[in-house]
Amino acid sequence: MGFLVLFEQRKGVIKEASFDVWSTVQHLAGSSGETEIFGLVMGNADRALIISRCTGKGEIHILKDKAFGDYCPHCYAEAVVEMAACKGVEKVFLANTAMGRDLAPRLAMRLDGSLASDCVVDVESAGVLRAKTTMYAGTVSAVIRALRKRTVYSMAPGRSRFKEPVDNAVEVLENRGGCASQGNPVLKEIIYYTERRDIAESDIIVAGGKGIGSRENFAMLESLASLLGGAVGASRSAVDEGWRPHADQIGQTGRSVAPRLYIACGISGAPQHLAGITGAGTVVAINRDREAPIFKAADYGIVGDIAEVLPQLERALDGFKSMK
Amino acid sequence: MKMETTRFMNIAVCINQVPDTASRVSVRDGVIETGSLNMVMIPYDEYALEEAVRLKEQRAGIVVTAFSAGGKKRYDVLRKALAMGADQACLVENGSSDDSRSVAAGLKKAIRSHYRGLPDLVICGRESSDCNRVQVPIMLAEMLGVAALSAVTKLSMQNDGLSVWREIEGGVEEFLLVPPAVISTEKGLNIPRKTNIKAVMKARKEPVLHIDGSVEEAPGVLYDDFSPISRERSCRFAETAEDLVRMLHEERRVL
Repeated sequence: MGFLVLFEQRKGVIKEASFDVWSTVQHLAGSSGETEIFGLVMGNADRALIISRCTGKGEIHILKDKAFGDYCPHCYAEAVVEMAACKGVEKVFLANTAMGRDLAPRLAMRLDGSLASDCVVDVESAGVLRAKTTMYAGTVSAVIRALRKRTVYSMAPGRSRFKEPVDNAVEVLENRGGCASQGNPVLKEIIYYTERRDIAESDIIVAGGKGIGSRENFAMLESLASLLGGAVGASRSAVDEGWRPHADQIGQTGRSVAPRLYIACGISGAPQHLAGITGAGTVVAINRDREAPIFKAADYGIVGDIAEVLPQLERALDGFKSMK
Repeated sequence: MKMETTRFMNIAVCINQVPDTASRVSVRDGVIETGSLNMVMIPYDEYALEEAVRLKEQRAGIVVTAFSAGGKKRYDVLRKALAMGADQACLVENGSSDDSRSVAAGLKKAIRSHYRGLPDLVICGRESSDCNRVQVPIMLAEMLGVAALSAVTKLSMQNDGLSVWREIEGGVEEFLLVPPAVISTEKGLNIPRKTNIKAVMKARKEPVLHIDGSVEEAPGVLYDDFSPISRERSCRFAETAEDLVRMLHEERRVL
């Protein structure tokens, strides 16, 4: 049996989420001795980086052809189908990103397989996987039983909970083949935001909600985030107010994130918001209302006014940094 | 002034209904109790309808048809679609499967038979806000054998097709999509109109077509072992910012 991990690269840089998937799959495959692991990188990516980041066992193929440089639904889907056929792949794993969500259903259909979306996968018993997901705005968990032989897993973000394998027997190969046609639709242009860090790739997130009060007040969060080397996120209410773009929306109705440190400022803590930060390492809540639900989902809290607490926090961090 | 005509004449909009996100879903003995929940149209589906109606308002000759798969309870969302400006509403009778693959197969059958072929454009909401699987639109496209793009945040009609934008992590992608095609809508695409009383009253009198959407499609997955999720952590309150920084450093090593 073969497991296939799809790596996602943008501008030649592989997503952290893809490395997380690789590491999880190493653990999942470990339960059955005969499982072979394959990796597929579409587009050119740094070979040395892949070698240094992907431990364990397996064979990673890089499709260097220009046709794979940016996301092309048709070329990407066909390349996966071809590799699955050629290597006897039964399970395909990819990160549940914007690209993953678009590609996964295409793969499930073309492989005539089951699709487990936005899931966390674990080993149920030797050789048997169990995928779990959430429903109803992240308030209910459910087990997904795949009914077909082949299954596509679109994996929820989260650092791999498993210890990285020490031994390294990963082989990285470069393939020449291209794609005959781009099909429909055709990518015309990608505009990358250069001035902002993406929340999903950030280790530290400072997020603001309705309690921030205005678009301008988010400058306090920007300032704290830049001091910490993190990114700024927002709750649904802050996005609905028009204070932040939808790309920054964290929660089940926006994006799920898994930073090492999450600082929630003026966020009340609706269930759908909490569902988006399940994977966060440490959660800090700052809110004026001691009874706000966010405190029940936080590890640390400060009760107080954002406009007072944030500048104090910056000064404390400055002091801490100069001591170090 | 005469409106420009277009070759995108038929637009199908697929809609669904879900429990209001504010309602509390209860789980008893591993089974979800949905009986008492307030059911509404999915917000993403409202974007889909709004976009279809806006295209209709821009170009003459476009016919917007709303499809919803399930039982007669769907009359509510179908009537809302009519009130928002859809020309026709179709109830796709296919029992009540919650498997994405079966739902997509039922919609495919209904759409194929209604149009005796293909519409030019199918617009769906990005996902249902109850199960959040983000699967049906692309599966439907694959079954219809047409192109598709998901989570669209902006769309404009061109002579050679549609320019379609979608949000990715840290940027925006722009595609050229040539109909026939399926798109799914993401927040940000538009702000759906409010329906007025007059339109709602008028929609109540309009007929809802019934189309057979029964299929033999074997389901792809089964969901079970439902359980409520607790996201509680135990919170320690810091009196000052200095205390917080010290705790984050000493206890968590995150600073």
